Amino acid sequence: MDGSIGVPVVRRDGAAKTSGTALYAADFPHADTAYAALTTSTVTRGRIIRIDTTEAEAVPGVQMVLTHHSLNETLGEETFVMKGGHMQSSFMPLTSDEVHYAGQIVALVVADTQEAAEEASRKVSVDYAAQHASASIEDADRVEEPMDDKSIDVGDAEAAFDRAPVKVDATYLTPAQHHNPIELYGATAVWQDGKLLVNAPSQWVVGNQAGLAAIFGLPMDDIRVESPYLGGGFGAKATILPHTVLVAMAARRLGRPVKLVVPRETGFTVSSFRPATRSRVRLAAEQDGTIVAVMHDEAAQSAVIDHVAFPATGVTARMYASPNIRMRESTIATDVNTPGFQRAPAEAPGFFGFESAVDELAVALGMDPIELRIKNEPVCDPVKGLPWSSRSLVPCFRRGAELFGWNRRTPEVGSMTTPDGMLLGWGCASATYPSAMCPSSARVKLSADGTCVVSCAAHDLGTGAYTVLGQVAADVLGVPDELVRVHLGDSTLPSGPVAGGSVTTGSAGSAVHMAALAVRERLLKAAAGGGDPASFTLAGGHVIGPDSHGRPVAEVLASVTGGMIEETADWKPGSMSGDQMRMGLAGGMAFAGPTTETHASYSFGAQFAEVRVDPLLRTVRVSRMVGVFACGRIINPRTARSNLMGGMIWGASFALLEETKVDRPRARFANTDLAGYHFSTNADIGEVVVETVDEVDTVVNAIGAKAVGEIGIVGMPAAIANAIYHATGVRVRKTPILVEDLLG
Amino acid sequence: MQPFTYVRADSLDAALSEASQPGAAIMAGGTTMVDLMRGNLAAPSRLVDIGHLPGLSEIDTTGPVLRFGALARMADVAEDATLLRDYPALSESLRLAASQQLRNAATLGGNILQRTRCQYFRDGISNCNKRVPGSGCSALDGENREMGLLGTSDQCVATYPGDWGAALAAFDTSVELRSVGGSRTVPFAQFHLPYGDDPAHESVVQPGEIVTAITVQAMPAGRKSTYVKVRDRQSYAYAVVSATVALEMDGDTVTSARVSLGGVASKPWRAPEAEAVLTGRTLTEAVALEAGAAAFAAARPLHHNAFKIELGRRAVARAALLASKRT
Repeated sequence: MDGSIGVPVVRRDGAAKTSGTALYAADFPHADTAYAALTTSTVTRGRIIRIDTTEAEAVPGVQMVLTHHSLNETLGEETFVMKGGHMQSSFMPLTSDEVHYAGQIVALVVADTQEAAEEASRKVSVDYAAQHASASIEDADRVEEPMDDKSIDVGDAEAAFDRAPVKVDATYLTPAQHHNPIELYGATAVWQDGKLLVNAPSQWVVGNQAGLAAIFGLPMDDIRVESPYLGGGFGAKATILPHTVLVAMAARRLGRPVKLVVPRETGFTVSSFRPATRSRVRLAAEQDGTIVAVMHDEAAQSAVIDHVAFPATGVTARMYASPNIRMRESTIATDVNTPGFQRAPAEAPGFFGFESAVDELAVALGMDPIELRIKNEPVCDPVKGLPWSSRSLVPCFRRGAELFGWNRRTPEVGSMTTPDGMLLGWGCASATYPSAMCPSSARVKLSADGTCVVSCAAHDLGTGAYTVLGQVAADVLGVPDELVRVHLGDSTLPSGPVAGGSVTTGSAGSAVHMAALAVRERLLKAAAGGGDPASFTLAGGHVIGPDSHGRPVAEVLASVTGGMIEETADWKPGSMSGDQMRMGLAGGMAFAGPTTETHASYSFGAQFAEVRVDPLLRTVRVSRMVGVFACGRIINPRTARSNLMGGMIWGASFALLEETKVDRPRARFANTDLAGYHFSTNADIGEVVVETVDEVDTVVNAIGAKAVGEIGIVGMPAAIANAIYHATGVRVRKTPILVEDLLG
Repeated sequence: MQPFTYVRADSLDAALSEASQPGAAIMAGGTTMVDLMRGNLAAPSRLVDIGHLPGLSEIDTTGPVLRFGALARMADVAEDATLLRDYPALSESLRLAASQQLRNAATLGGNILQRTRCQYFRDGISNCNKRVPGSGCSALDGENREMGLLGTSDQCVATYPGDWGAALAAFDTSVELRSVGGSRTVPFAQFHLPYGDDPAHESVVQPGEIVTAITVQAMPAGRKSTYVKVRDRQSYAYAVVSATVALEMDGDTVTSARVSLGGVASKPWRAPEAEAVLTGRTLTEAVALEAGAAAFAAARPLHHNAFKIELGRRAVARAALLASKRT
């Protein structure tokens, strides 16, 4: 079938996944594998004063117990991803007796069987000298540390706010959350002839390769990181998790492959998480709804061991036209494992508060919340005055309102009910996500047998990259879908970008596009012989000459040396320097955008929620969600829809369920399993309608595709909170919104 | 988990004999016991699998005494047509519990013996008088939204988590136990132990004893019964609060009432105070709410769970109003 851009091609990897033949990282068989298990700290902060492994080592089958005593090895220079490295944290467990957070790895046990390793891991006896610790941003001893370089000041927002007739000033809270991908964390390390193979679920195989090369003092070519499929990553599997390094060290010492699969509860502390945030939002408007001041002060949880922040205010500042904008960011260091990227890291928490406040402003104005947003639609970026590469927020709202039936909404609180007596609430919110880009390489090979092979060390998180990247090549080369093969998730392939920041389609896709164009050029040249290639075209599997005579592509290729044409291309965003590109392709973190010297590039969306609230019990159910998004050119409507829908469903979870609770007296996460950490089940999600609007963006990248991967979650929490207000009159300014928040 | 011997019993007598060995524990559907062993909360040296024993999975819901074999699966019992018609509260309590996959595997006997989901008990490291007697209770000053406020003590505030048990408490229920020494029948009200000073012990089941059946005295109020489960999500979540109400009515007047609570107490909790409010009254929303308030008169709220008094009041009211409309 036609596999070109815009066709809803069915997921290329679907059959392998549903039939169980797709190999995930932990599925790769390696002969003579030994199994690892972790012992983690039971205190939050302090020192290990004694660690006794005698009993653990006595468990039959135990081969090795690594502790800070026995590790005793100097690692190569590597560091935290936010400091330019590839690690999840600056702190490497087992390199000292220090304990910085609860659930920190204090020993790694390796045994002949999984059962023996687990049993022995429990028999590692540790005594700690514990110190006072705080894991919550609400603890009295925590202080806000301003990040002055993140401040945004346009005009005089304070003065404008003071003068304005209608204003909102409210503070909103979001909790810590964990990714909880269904595929658990883990790693298998295999050394052969001094070279290291790592099978670990990874959103960044080349970055992991570069980091492991640095740690083990090896050339990059001696490291291979392989992760063809992911059972969810959501940002948690981008960096090198410390246990991967420990597993590799254990495997080298033992001379055997070592495999670790991290149990669910341990996953809460050996990886990253979405930090808690507190947002104070102040908005002011004239009586007619013209916004005159936008202020957003965000304080977000960070770690004592690593300063880390995902500032939302640089994004919320882009939403509405206002002559006066004042944005402030700060962090609050806590005794936790280092927080990290989690789907829309800045935007999802930041927009809950910001878009709730916009709804509060609409209520204060007595104005329809969509009308308020449209009235304040900015013609250019409100911060820098740059033109948008494309922005279709208003069309998104218009189409979304139509799909949702917004005109049937009566604005008075509690004015809508269902036939069975439930209170009905309708709410909406805006969403955006920056369209940043990374450099990428890609290889495209067209063979005489008709197949087209696309290779790139990019990643398919389960969201469709295998399918979409194939379509980009098929579109240029006119190859039917069934003859396209795509290879991803292996660091031996041409360098691909981190699967983060929603960059894969735009970045890797641009590289594939470029390589495919190069293949086409050679193909046409071959067909032209000594003639002018420009007078030849490619259509329907044939090369058409100036005489309108078509020759099958296979026939042309048969005349080429080797019977195939292969091209590799390096693509970089237009605003990026060559040095930056080379750094990125070598496994560095190289982003360009979303604002460049000429344009601001963001995807936008309008999101709607219907909630039903039981008038007596005050339980909330989300019966309907509508999302309309503008993300540039949609390569595959099927996978894009699915990706956006997944984000919206997560947004419903964010609004009503997800919270990693902090046991404040003991300064640790409390609900560290899936019985305690709730996310939506199928039964919680009613109808979900997703559409995209047509949008042409000739600026953002070679294929005109903007960010799809993360925007779906961004507006949903506020849309649901706003719907709950509409149903009940209760404005809940924190998530998750629980039954007790509505009992009155 | 520590090494253990797995024994698959092929008769009840063989199972009883195996169960009488020191360090033995019983596994039926495995949904509770495997979980406890994986969490190092149970470490039997001998695991006696009775899941496939013949003769213990029959149910009879038609006679003057409803009889549920201990090995009957939750999913099967939930769909029993007679139970659905005559005792909807019992069906609903099963259908609203866990997930379909778990209900397919879990047995009724194991269900009433499931242990608390208290995170401080489960985490293996917090102070917990239930896990390590005398070590204290981290839930008292910790995250205690999920904790109980009835039948709790200063030693333990954990809740009994089950839905089926919570509903059974509203009926005249008994549990049949067998051991190599013989058999005995324990009224359900005495089957679970309130926490008091010894929260480590949760039921009267002794080492070597196996639950063989659960019986319920037939009663007309069964038809006007319902199980209202309030939970944070629509499926696969323990109750924040649950209320079971079974009524006999003469017109709009309640002539007899049974009320029990789940998710809020140390054991399946009968609420006679609420029953007293309802009995003899014309059922209105106000009376139903008054009954709900009475059910929580003795509540001992903690920092994060005081809302359950109000939520529980409303859940009882909802259940009473729903039950009264059943025919």
